[in-house]
Amino acid sequence: MSVTIVNYNMGNSGSVVNALNYLGVTCEISSVPDKILRSSKIIIPGVGSFRQAMDNMRRMNLYDAICEAVLVKKIQILGICLGMQLFTQLGEEGGNTKGFGFIEGNISKFSEQINLRMPHVGFNSVKILNKDSLLFKGLETESDFYFVHSYRLGNSECPFIHATCEYGELFAAAVERDNIFGVQFHPEKSQSNGLKMLSNFSKL
Amino acid sequence: MLKKRLIFSLLYDSGNYMLSRNFSLQKVGDLDWLMNNFDYDSIGHSIDELIILNVGRQEKNTALFCKELRKIAGKYFMPIAAGGGILSLEDAANIILSGADKLVLNTALFEMPNLVSRLVDTYGSQCIVASIDYKQCDSSVYINNGSKKSDNTDLFEAVKYVEALGCGEIYLTSMDNDGTGEGFDLETLKKISLITKLPIIAYGGGGRYDHFVKVYNECNIEAAATADLFNFMGDGLMETRRFIENSNIPMAKWDIDFFRNNHG
Repeated sequence: MSVTIVNYNMGNSGSVVNALNYLGVTCEISSVPDKILRSSKIIIPGVGSFRQAMDNMRRMNLYDAICEAVLVKKIQILGICLGMQLFTQLGEEGGNTKGFGFIEGNISKFSEQINLRMPHVGFNSVKILNKDSLLFKGLETESDFYFVHSYRLGNSECPFIHATCEYGELFAAAVERDNIFGVQFHPEKSQSNGLKMLSNFSKL
Repeated sequence: MLKKRLIFSLLYDSGNYMLSRNFSLQKVGDLDWLMNNFDYDSIGHSIDELIILNVGRQEKNTALFCKELRKIAGKYFMPIAAGGGILSLEDAANIILSGADKLVLNTALFEMPNLVSRLVDTYGSQCIVASIDYKQCDSSVYINNGSKKSDNTDLFEAVKYVEALGCGEIYLTSMDNDGTGEGFDLETLKKISLITKLPIIAYGGGGRYDHFVKVYNECNIEAAATADLFNFMGDGLMETRRFIENSNIPMAKWDIDFFRNNHG
């Protein structure tokens, strides 16, 4: 039993492995459904387009395995960036695409009216709303994490938002529902703040 | 609030790290030299991002570059951009697999736009950094490590062009200021910041603490990089970060002791 990092051919799983190795957490990259169902924890990393990601999930027979792992076996899962976005109902990137639907909300582009640089790139302060959050244990209520994205889950869209970030508007930085955890930022690229968060997740 | 980014660029050529002045290169030392003369951990904990460029003027050995990249990337928990000589999907895939989060493209932008589009489709815009080298006097743009002037485009057109290609960031290099340590080309940066919404990384001339403060304060940009190995030796980058913070510029904060406690 170890942490499985799901490889669905989207983005770089290697840096998540590096971070977990540094923390002394045993992990494995896999795209084998049985392996995912037998893991103690699951991480879905990923950058790229929502549509492509869901296509790959289905084509590689990962969709059903992840649903069963999360909804039936209640295995704790962490979605990172695009990984978190896939937990919602619908993504607009690459054309409207259904997500896993573990949490409410749609993923859409930052509003065009925001007169800020796009994509949203760099460290930004994350406001942790739930002070008892296990994921953010040992971190300040406002901590800096590294973001790189143009699509987001709007702040009013979902009741399970546990941390927010502001970039012209408020959006979801972290979601949490039972065994389901998601972060819009990249903990594996956020210096010690991200490592602490990953360490918290691995100890849940 | 979005924080400003302090970025260090490593210039790599066939096993060695280089200093560049107006694009002429001088060998400094290999990875061991780098580790001995810099507080290596302190580089990683003082900056927001690392850029590693294969700047060799001969045919570039991507396999060797990727090997070097692997040695560096695994140690750092921040974004890493790499490039120099990416001329195929395979080059790009190797660089990503070696630990880079972003691909830095220069010559390919202008000579192989189809490759750029395919890289944007494969990895997403946020993964593609357009590196544009320019000269101030006539806003001309250069490719092939600054050796060839582009006839078709000036700097302002080039910025709009890479935006249309789907690139996600611009690494803007003033060839006149490169390696001079005399400060960034603020005038051009101010102008460019107005014509694009893409994030811009200022490069060329950053040699002192206050150069960074100036570029963050006076230009509407969030990121600035230096490759000046000598002016930031030892814990120079850490000092730079402190100086910027003390000038009331918002910088990301993290707990450096965490790294010491975790791995001695």
